[in-house]
Amino acid sequence: MEDVENQQNLDELWKHVCILFPILCHENQDQNRQDCPSDELSIMQSIVGQGQEAIVEQLVLNEIETQLRRDIVPTFWRHFSDDEIKIHGLEGFKGAVDSLYDSLSTIVPFLQTLELLRQTAQSERQVYGQLSLMETFKVMVRASLHSQLPLDYQAITEDFYRVAFKVFCNSENKEIDQNESAEDIVQCAGCCHEIEFCQCQTIIEAFHDINGKLQELDLLERLAGDVLTTMIHRRIENHVQETCKGSFDVSHIGSLEVWLDTVVMGWLSRIYSSGSFGFRESENKETHSTVETLSKMKQTLRHFLYETYTRTRIDQLFNIIIEYPDSEPAVEDLRICLLKTDLRQHLTQKLQRALETRLLHPGVNTPDILTAYVAAIRALRTLDPSGVLLDTVTQPVRQYLRWRDDTVRCVVTSLTEEGPSELAEELSRGEALQLDDLTPSEEDTKNWETWNPDPVDADPSKTSQSRRTSDIISMLVNVYGSKDLFVNEYRTLLADRLLSSLNYNTDKEIRYLELLKLRFGESQLHYCEVMLKDIYDSKRINTHLHSDTNFNLDNQEFAITAMILSAQFWPHFNKETLELPEFVQEHLNTYTKAFETLKGNRTLSWKPQLGSVNLDIELKDRKINLTVSPIHATIIWHFQSKNQWTIEELSQIMHAPATLVRRKITYWQSQGLLHEIGPDSFELVEESGPRVKGHIPSEIVCDDEETESAMASAQEQREEELQVFWSYIVGMLTNLDSMPLERILQMLKMFALQGPTTIEVGLQELRHFLDRKVAEEKLLFYGGVYRLPKS
Amino acid sequence: MAQNVNPHSATEHNSSIKTNDDRLRLSKDNHAVTKRLQKELMSLMTCAEKGVSAFPEGENFFKWVGTISGPVGTVYEGLTYKLSLEFPNSYPYSAPVVRFTTSCFHPNVDTAGNICLDILREKWSALYDVRTILLSIQSLLGEPNISSPLNPQASQMWANQVQYKKHLHETYHKENSKEK
Repeated sequence: MEDVENQQNLDELWKHVCILFPILCHENQDQNRQDCPSDELSIMQSIVGQGQEAIVEQLVLNEIETQLRRDIVPTFWRHFSDDEIKIHGLEGFKGAVDSLYDSLSTIVPFLQTLELLRQTAQSERQVYGQLSLMETFKVMVRASLHSQLPLDYQAITEDFYRVAFKVFCNSENKEIDQNESAEDIVQCAGCCHEIEFCQCQTIIEAFHDINGKLQELDLLERLAGDVLTTMIHRRIENHVQETCKGSFDVSHIGSLEVWLDTVVMGWLSRIYSSGSFGFRESENKETHSTVETLSKMKQTLRHFLYETYTRTRIDQLFNIIIEYPDSEPAVEDLRICLLKTDLRQHLTQKLQRALETRLLHPGVNTPDILTAYVAAIRALRTLDPSGVLLDTVTQPVRQYLRWRDDTVRCVVTSLTEEGPSELAEELSRGEALQLDDLTPSEEDTKNWETWNPDPVDADPSKTSQSRRTSDIISMLVNVYGSKDLFVNEYRTLLADRLLSSLNYNTDKEIRYLELLKLRFGESQLHYCEVMLKDIYDSKRINTHLHSDTNFNLDNQEFAITAMILSAQFWPHFNKETLELPEFVQEHLNTYTKAFETLKGNRTLSWKPQLGSVNLDIELKDRKINLTVSPIHATIIWHFQSKNQWTIEELSQIMHAPATLVRRKITYWQSQGLLHEIGPDSFELVEESGPRVKGHIPSEIVCDDEETESAMASAQEQREEELQVFWSYIVGMLTNLDSMPLERILQMLKMFALQGPTTIEVGLQELRHFLDRKVAEEKLLFYGGVYRLPKS
Repeated sequence: MAQNVNPHSATEHNSSIKTNDDRLRLSKDNHAVTKRLQKELMSLMTCAEKGVSAFPEGENFFKWVGTISGPVGTVYEGLTYKLSLEFPNSYPYSAPVVRFTTSCFHPNVDTAGNICLDILREKWSALYDVRTILLSIQSLLGEPNISSPLNPQASQMWANQVQYKKHLHETYHKENSKEK
């Protein structure tokens, strides 16, 4: 009988439970509920009294879960898979969220009842690891939503948030530039509808609504978090790129941060803090966690902003460098950003690649490379005062410059150039030159507290001192690592300038020389000093010889002034020969005699190819006055005696190579004085008929005289010096059979380099030299040693 | 022979005061000798005489290796000889010690490579230098002094040039391959 009673009790209880939780019985629940609407408390007590509360709770939760999986969630996702709704993303998403919210709301009363039941039973059961039933419910919702996640749901959420963000940004902007809004705008910038039907307000409302609901359900982060983050990132990227486009002269960090704080964070806080209603348990706790989430997001976003900005700037770094110092704010920005991000490596690689592709190819002029290099030195110094970055990044530039033949010449030229040149300015600052081989000097003891270690990517073999030098000229000289090369090149340049001007005016050159002395030291520039003194002395001697009637120089048919150079101190001249006309030579001899009389034991050895001649040419119908080089003058002189010459004849009589004569004749052709009558045969044009005058100058390109240097180039000189070594090397190998490169260098240093002329030679240079000899089959290289071929 | 006396040491003898000054002078002399040898080397390298050559062996200027090739038109034509030259501190006031390092079959050269040449001994003069020494030895190859031989066998064989040449080349190649 007890069983029956129990059964009856249970039936009774079940009825009551069904009344309490109509969700459990699917048929005619309304009816049951209406039967006894107000008896909840007693029913609960009876449930608890029978000890069934746990089972009931479980039953209810199971039922809720089933409903979620079976009905609510599929309905929600169906909104997303529907193609039609995809087109109107905004409404679709809103509808979905609304219906989800509504159906979930119907479940909430049961949860409240269950909670009440719990309180009556004083149970503290945990379901799904959550203490409160509301949390349990949320876990269930999330789980079921995710378990049925369609693949393409993001498209819709993205759509929705993009539109919303646009509207939001637009409303922000509107506040700023309301006055500017022109009348002809028909479309609202926010929602892309015509202004009269602007949907912005609706959108914003819907947006807040949805966000509020999602936030309440704790679904915002799960459902839209991804989309939000990617969107904001993209937005930041766009914004940074737009801000940075082409302007390097303004610092953007501040404005970007403000932008992040106001626009992006403003939007985010609106999304996160717009929930209210019944799903929230404790207002304070929720707000607190929202603030925490926001500040966390802000940190992440700020870092992202920095990183994006840094990357953008790094991509532009080459241009920034070129425009330095105008781009100083950008460099300063980058410096700050580098401290906050981990992009140093990235910067080094990027910039190196940029330099290599944009600078270090044959299409770029050496002066341009140098300008860029100087700008890079300056910019990177600001960026990284320790100089490590500069050292690493410009390594390829230096290497490349070493291969360019005209580097030294360009540097020297721009050093002493007139007019505004960075290097010339740099020179006039007048600091002593610091070279790489500087031994590590004692650390500055006064400033030891401000000492900083070198960055991790520093090359430990170099002293930090050497990197920290900011002197640009030193850096340029260090490209080659030797002052000598520069001094020699300067000497050549100076010689060229002095000999081409021929006006004995040395004031300007003296000034440069003094400046250079400050840098390179007195001893290095001693030769140049003598050269300048030669010019000065020449002037004096000329005046003296001409003023003294004893020398008979006044009776000559034309006046000669000479530049008297001390051959020892001048660079080697090109080995051109030229036989001057006898008539001219006689005059020169007279001058020589006069000089010998004046100077006792000394005489003159003329360099007839140098100098200039002032000519008066009288032809049948015209007179021409020209200042030309001696070789030009000699050519036209010969046409005095004979109207027609072939190149070969001229070359013979002048002792000059035919190619040279040919080249020089073009000058006279362009002047219209000579005319080519047959191959290599020329005739003097006595009368300039209109025909000749008309077309000749356009036809013949006059060669550019100024580009030719009278001096043997530094490389040629070097070649000559190395030739001296060659005889030593031959002697060495004849007697000692075979030697490795290092031994040869050692022997050279020991026996050949101790003479009065201290010529330096490096291992690399020697190797190149010997390799060339091997190529010329004057030397054999086998098994690491050099030997002479058997003759 | 006055030129063969170092003027410094000569005056030294007269004063006969031996002090630290002496050693100082010696090192100074040493420097002078080095300078002289350096000059000789330079002139030797720049004039590039055919058939004779010499170069310091390595560590210092006082030990050289010389090379001479047999004079054209003699039995020695086509053969190359190496010599060692050792310069005393008193050079050029005393002669360097010159020896053949390649074994040389010659009336005036013994089996150890010592050379009997008057200018390397009693007729030495400070005016000689490496170049002239080597040239003298080169010409000695073609014109031996039969009257005072160090190698009697070679001296006797010299009269028969054909036989001499055959023997010379045989020993030269034998010795040379032995070296290798």
